[in-house]
Amino acid sequence: MTADVDLAFLSARRIAALVRERAVSPVEITRLYLDRIDRLDGELRAYITVVPEAALESARRAEAAVLRGEALGPLHGVPYAVKDQFDTAGVRTTSGSRLLEHHVPTEDATTISRLNGAGAILLGKLNLTEFALGGTQKFPFGQPRNPWNLDHDPGGSSSGSGIAVAAALCAASLGEDTGGSVRSPASFCGVVGLRPTWSRVSRHGSFPLSWSMDTPGPLGRTVEDVAWLLQAIAGYDPKDPLSSRAPVPEYAKGLDDGVRALRIGVIRELTSGPETDAEMKAAVLEAARCLERLGATIEEISLPLLPRAGAIFMALADSDGAGVHHRWLRTRAAEYDQGTRRRLLTASLIPAAIQQRAARARALLGTQLREALAGHDLLLCPTAHQAAPPIAAGRGVITSRHEVAGRFFTRRSYVTPAALAGLPAIAVPCGFTCAGLPLSLQLIGRHFDEATVLRAAHTYESQFDWSRRRPPGAA
Amino acid sequence: MSELTTEQVGALAAALGLPVTAEDLVEVTHRLNGLIDALEPLAALPLETIEPVTGQGPVS
Repeated sequence: MTADVDLAFLSARRIAALVRERAVSPVEITRLYLDRIDRLDGELRAYITVVPEAALESARRAEAAVLRGEALGPLHGVPYAVKDQFDTAGVRTTSGSRLLEHHVPTEDATTISRLNGAGAILLGKLNLTEFALGGTQKFPFGQPRNPWNLDHDPGGSSSGSGIAVAAALCAASLGEDTGGSVRSPASFCGVVGLRPTWSRVSRHGSFPLSWSMDTPGPLGRTVEDVAWLLQAIAGYDPKDPLSSRAPVPEYAKGLDDGVRALRIGVIRELTSGPETDAEMKAAVLEAARCLERLGATIEEISLPLLPRAGAIFMALADSDGAGVHHRWLRTRAAEYDQGTRRRLLTASLIPAAIQQRAARARALLGTQLREALAGHDLLLCPTAHQAAPPIAAGRGVITSRHEVAGRFFTRRSYVTPAALAGLPAIAVPCGFTCAGLPLSLQLIGRHFDEATVLRAAHTYESQFDWSRRRPPGAA
Repeated sequence: MSELTTEQVGALAAALGLPVTAEDLVEVTHRLNGLIDALEPLAALPLETIEPVTGQGPVS
């Protein structure tokens, strides 16, 4: 059993290497994860749908390819899972909603085709907040729970993507980040999550929320895993006319090059501001000092507009979402979760003058971030203002306009700046609270410079054992 | 902007053909007023001279 658990918690890249060396069979590792899902997911609720037969069939084909000595993809034999927002041919894709409970796509999303093409083995579809919006009050397919403390929020909207990686219910996962939906669950669950530059990864086949911010992104137990998943999914896709034709570099190539000569700006308002929890602040400032000891130049910078980013984001992304859902809101409103329905109804009614103000503020915020990145290679801040809160903290109706900022805007202001500006950003574990909940560092980079983001994150990660710790109960 | 009432919000929703229950209407009104409150300080910024482009840069 111990050996099995150790195998389940290996990095995706290590699993791929063991498969290539014929030290581990794809069938063996797939069965191991399916057994763990069977044993642990009744409580964690990371998965909405598991596809054991299809996964084992893929694993058998992968094993045969190894035995025949065929050329193998970089993720050959690596079992992964995907947020149930991405289309999978022949496998139901619910977007976490009863409205799509019986929806079975006929085509894979481009990201799924590319991961499968790299040799990865799909285990199933992962839980999420309804339609990737956040604020779900009653999850239609079971309440997802944080493996570090079952009473706490695993983050969203890619909740299952964070849980499954943290609890070793897959080797790595794919999420989607409109306004923090990869980085928030990565942060709360103690794993690595990357939001790539907007347009770097095709959105074809993923249920939309906001056209100008939706971005598929990988989650893994190590930065290297995330780099390899990005490698598999990045690049132009004729099925997504807004995907970029910019060349895709080799993301893992420079991971070990260190941070010497990098200039990193620590965002004062998000790191030392009044909303940031003391344990989070201490851990992130210590991470900055660590990067400085490793050769980076650290400077504090001020971006006063960033604490407003959460409200700016919700005025814009939610309006886009209201447009996507307008027909169903008129005809099937009662089928939405109460929290989703009220959020979309609110967004449907935002006055044009307010939306225009938010759009102009977004442009200003983007300019300020790009100017900050002209003088710095990376920006650094916490991924969230605090560690995972209790699930109960996000429950209940709003009884006053004064509750709105605390419930919705504060935490989003940490992850939405990169989303509003289309910048790449990574969440990396940087310690634990006294209560044993993960803390997370965020690094934001220049457009299309995921390589520097990944290099700095990998350099930091390699100094500590945060990514090797295992949640209680996940053995 | 002054505080929106449930009557105003309900009328707006009805005009758009959106079915809003009485329970939903109270919370939607709070949410809408809270969002407007949060964006009010932005009025002090020189935003009129800024084009409301998305800001994520061109796809290259």
